[in-house]
Amino acid sequence: MKRRQVWLFFIIFLLTLSVYLLINYPLQLGLDLQGGSQLTLQIIKEEGKVTKDELEAVNSVIDRRVNNLGVSESNLQTLGGDQLILELPGEQNPLVASRVLGKTALLEFRTQKEGTSTNLKTLQLQRFNIKELIKQYSSAEQSQYDDNFLKIIQDDLKNTEQELNYSSTSSDLYGKLIEIKKHVDTEITNLFLKTDLSGKDLINAGRRQEQTNSNWEVLLTFSNSGGEKFAEITKTIAGTNQLLAIILDGESISEASVGSQFANTGITGGSATISGNFSAENARELEVQLKGGSLPLPIEIVETNTIGALLGSKNIFKSLYAAISGLIFVGIFMIFNYRILGFVSVISLVLYGFFNLALYSLIPVTLTLPGISGLILSIGMAVDANILIFERIREELYDGNTLTRSIDSGFQRANSSIVDGHITTLLSCFVLFLLGTNFVKGFAATLGIGVLISLFTSLNCSKTILRFFITYQSFRQKNLYLTRNNLPN
Amino acid sequence: MKYKLEIIKNKRKIIGFSTVLILLSLLGIFYSTFNTSYKKPINLGMDFVGGNELRIERVCGEECSNFPTDLVLDNLKRISKNKKVINNIKLQFQNNNKLISIRTPYLSIEESNNLITNIDNIIGPLNYESKDSRLIGPKLGKRLLINCVTSLLVSLFAISLYITIRFDKKYALFALLALFHDLVIVFGIFSWLGIILSVEVNSLFAVSLLTIAGYSVNDTVVIFDRIRENLKSKKEDYNETIQLSVNESFRRTTFTSITTLIPLLSIILFGSYSLFWFSLALSLGIIVGSYSSILLAPSFLLKD
Repeated sequence: MKRRQVWLFFIIFLLTLSVYLLINYPLQLGLDLQGGSQLTLQIIKEEGKVTKDELEAVNSVIDRRVNNLGVSESNLQTLGGDQLILELPGEQNPLVASRVLGKTALLEFRTQKEGTSTNLKTLQLQRFNIKELIKQYSSAEQSQYDDNFLKIIQDDLKNTEQELNYSSTSSDLYGKLIEIKKHVDTEITNLFLKTDLSGKDLINAGRRQEQTNSNWEVLLTFSNSGGEKFAEITKTIAGTNQLLAIILDGESISEASVGSQFANTGITGGSATISGNFSAENARELEVQLKGGSLPLPIEIVETNTIGALLGSKNIFKSLYAAISGLIFVGIFMIFNYRILGFVSVISLVLYGFFNLALYSLIPVTLTLPGISGLILSIGMAVDANILIFERIREELYDGNTLTRSIDSGFQRANSSIVDGHITTLLSCFVLFLLGTNFVKGFAATLGIGVLISLFTSLNCSKTILRFFITYQSFRQKNLYLTRNNLPN
Repeated sequence: MKYKLEIIKNKRKIIGFSTVLILLSLLGIFYSTFNTSYKKPINLGMDFVGGNELRIERVCGEECSNFPTDLVLDNLKRISKNKKVINNIKLQFQNNNKLISIRTPYLSIEESNNLITNIDNIIGPLNYESKDSRLIGPKLGKRLLINCVTSLLVSLFAISLYITIRFDKKYALFALLALFHDLVIVFGIFSWLGIILSVEVNSLFAVSLLTIAGYSVNDTVVIFDRIRENLKSKKEDYNETIQLSVNESFRRTTFTSITTLIPLLSIILFGSYSLFWFSLALSLGIIVGSYSSILLAPSFLLKD
């Protein structure tokens, strides 16, 4: 008697604990339930596997960039050795994040090769032309575009191609424009020689609006050694017609001359500005990228999921409906078929629900749609164990055994086949969790946890509750356990 | 004792019925594989091939105005620069024209945003809070597919290993036969659904196959356990004992299947649309799985 009471109190204690946990540590909802965006970033490495150090390095650069972007409550985690997952909850546009994160942001300082001035001037002009064409094309796309206008762009493009002695391979007009711009950028970069000064020598970056116009400029602050290098480089080209180029990811974003007044010392003070017609937005993006440092390996955004907040809350309600109606119908089915026993299984099911949710908030498990479906499915499986036991109890009763004896041996004899039967489901969950994607992991986790908890609730909890019931005389009539046609004649 | 299920008498019918189901499934799989317009055993969804899927609601009252999809596409063609996308776009109206669902090849976030803006211009206003957009790169899709197939093979191997250790060879072989029977039939049904209704399978389908595998084996294990137990203790005829065991576990197996089907049915009826086909696959698997556990697997054990 005493041991049974201990179990009963233990279950009540667990229930209280679960309720306490759920109130104080609310469940974490996945993006498909609260709305938001999820970006999967793939690290690109041509040869060999991405090492742990490389993953860590990419992770910290991305982390810094995300923080500097000022997105609230973002969450960054690594996945499978060469992927990163960034979650942006709420109505935050993933576009800016994707632009800032996707770039390698390799910053180089280069000096112009001697005797390339004319060459550079032609290329700069062509770059200007092509940029204008792209601008016109994009604005044409916003409004309805008209065929004549397109024709003009196409003709201009052809001229530029001839001048460059380069023919583009892209099929559509926009692709061609981008391709040629890239070609011009490479040509320009090739006119400059590498120096030992790079983005690694920066300690900070900032931005400010230019005084003369509405454009923005980006401020660079060098480390001590970086400042010295910068002074050295500027000293060598000061007063010559060689320019200093600041190159970001292979594209020159600024070419500037150094005045002859710096010929003795170079530009000292350890800082520089890039003023290349930046809009406020562009300047901010560059600032964030430079602050975060360059990526050791390039990344590509391979997946973007965006769910509106309204849809998220709809998903919650739909899942709640499904879970509760599932629970109610299973409950009705059980009570209809097993009477008192069915009622006991309903109580253990409710306990099962609480324990599950409490464990989710404790571990914690982020609840997603597949996760919820795993939970709902595990309701059905949790009852499976109860059915096995109750069928045994019925058989024992049918054979004319006493109630207490039937219950005891029912639980005992069903024990092994329940544990056994759950193993295959657990095996599947385990494999899914190890190999699955994030999406799949949610399902595997909730189903797996569910199956484990159901072992406890359907074996221990229902036994304890049932034993508690039969301490009352009025619950000991056999016809409360067997339907009429199952009673022995 | 009166039997509800006469498996001895109906052995041929049961095995025949299963053979027909398997053949139909294989027919669907082969048809889908060798037909030039499908080329795959099953209609692979965006998860596996990459692309852009967008669902968004229009802001309108009770009834949204009817807008021919051709007209929308014509307008899109006029204002969009990305010809590659426009030529491969699939657009559908659902829920009384309220919901727009769009499929295109893979787009960057920027291109996708442009597309939405264009659509807003044509049939807006749109409710951005109801947006559901997925962009999956083709590389990732391929990786996911490999991942899913590996998971399936690994867990099938693990389950087979478990059964072989747990039972002796004959039982293990038949339990596995029943398992593959269930998986092939569910796979075949979705092949046919892909051919007829262009239903696509995503990574959740692979998950449902795995769950079915676990569940179906579980059911078979319970019945085989009962058969072994009875064969040890009862002196009756071998075939009779198997039939008795099946009937003894019949109630239990159907009941557990029903209690598992009920929650799945609630997801199908009330749950989010993204779980619809997943729950359907699971439900079909559980129905086929119970059938094979109760009738097919024990029939294999019967002696002529």
